[in-house]
Amino acid sequence: MSYVDAGYAISLGALFVYGLGLGLRRRRWERALKVVEVGDAAEPLAPGGRP
Amino acid sequence: MKSTHTTIPNAPRPRWLSAVGLLGVLAMACTVWLGLWITPPDQVQGNLARLLYIHPPIATVALYWAGGVAAVGSLLYLWPRTRSLFWDRLAASAVEVGALFSALTLVTGSLWGRPVWGVWWTWDARLTSTALLLLLELGYMALRRVPADPTVRARRCAVAALLVAVDVPIVHFSVDWWQTLHQGGTILDPGFHLHVHGSMLWTLLIGFIAFSLIFVWLLGVRYRIEVLQDQVGNQELEVSLADRWSEDTVLAGVGGSSQSPPSGGAP
Repeated sequence: MSYVDAGYAISLGALFVYGLGLGLRRRRWERALKVVEVGDAAEPLAPGGRP
Repeated sequence: MKSTHTTIPNAPRPRWLSAVGLLGVLAMACTVWLGLWITPPDQVQGNLARLLYIHPPIATVALYWAGGVAAVGSLLYLWPRTRSLFWDRLAASAVEVGALFSALTLVTGSLWGRPVWGVWWTWDARLTSTALLLLLELGYMALRRVPADPTVRARRCAVAALLVAVDVPIVHFSVDWWQTLHQGGTILDPGFHLHVHGSMLWTLLIGFIAFSLIFVWLLGVRYRIEVLQDQVGNQELEVSLADRWSEDTVLAGVGGSSQSPPSGGAP
């Protein structure tokens, strides 16, 4: 592999992997938010009682 | 339980961002095609000149786009009239994406320098100041992971981002201020005369557009993650407060006293 090929492969590969990682992180946080929101809504607080 | 804590609107994914990403990928494919197969080899450097279709665009994004967004975002956060977590999140996103581009600047520069200069690395002013930029960006990211109240964290990080921003003009002018192995302007000389022509110039310009579009797309996605993290943090805080409040209410009921919920707090 030449220096040129290595430069293109590393640059494009790193951008691709980072972009993919960002997409996965976004999905994970979106899921986490749904879980927290659903958990929040599914636990009605009885007056004077534990949720 | 009805949510009473201040939350960030759960904004849908903007369509324009997907369009920017798609355009960026198309422009990148065009750059690679032109850079590797269409443009002729350079008279002096031969095929190694093909690395220069990606190295200056990557460096431009790392230095000016990412550094600029981080600096402006942090200044606008520190300025009392414009203080908003929007600017803090934008700056944080720019620094993280910028760190990747800074690292790629060093790697692609090193891959070009090895056959042309004969060394992978030299303590040249341009190279050293760029490495310092990467270190400052990594320091910013480490500081952001330190647990703190969001406003305290934002203020700390804004100051750290200004340190990153101070290095940007040093990197830019390093080739003028010191005798360096790194050459001066790649496209324009100080008299604004073009160094690059024809298909080489077009390939380089498309490369600038491609990496800039990819930067905007990555910045947008990274910003969205910052918003989601804050939303989850706020919701968890609400649940913790509700738990705490219900425990207090039970204890107060056992003790025979009555308590009313604090205004604005969890029920």
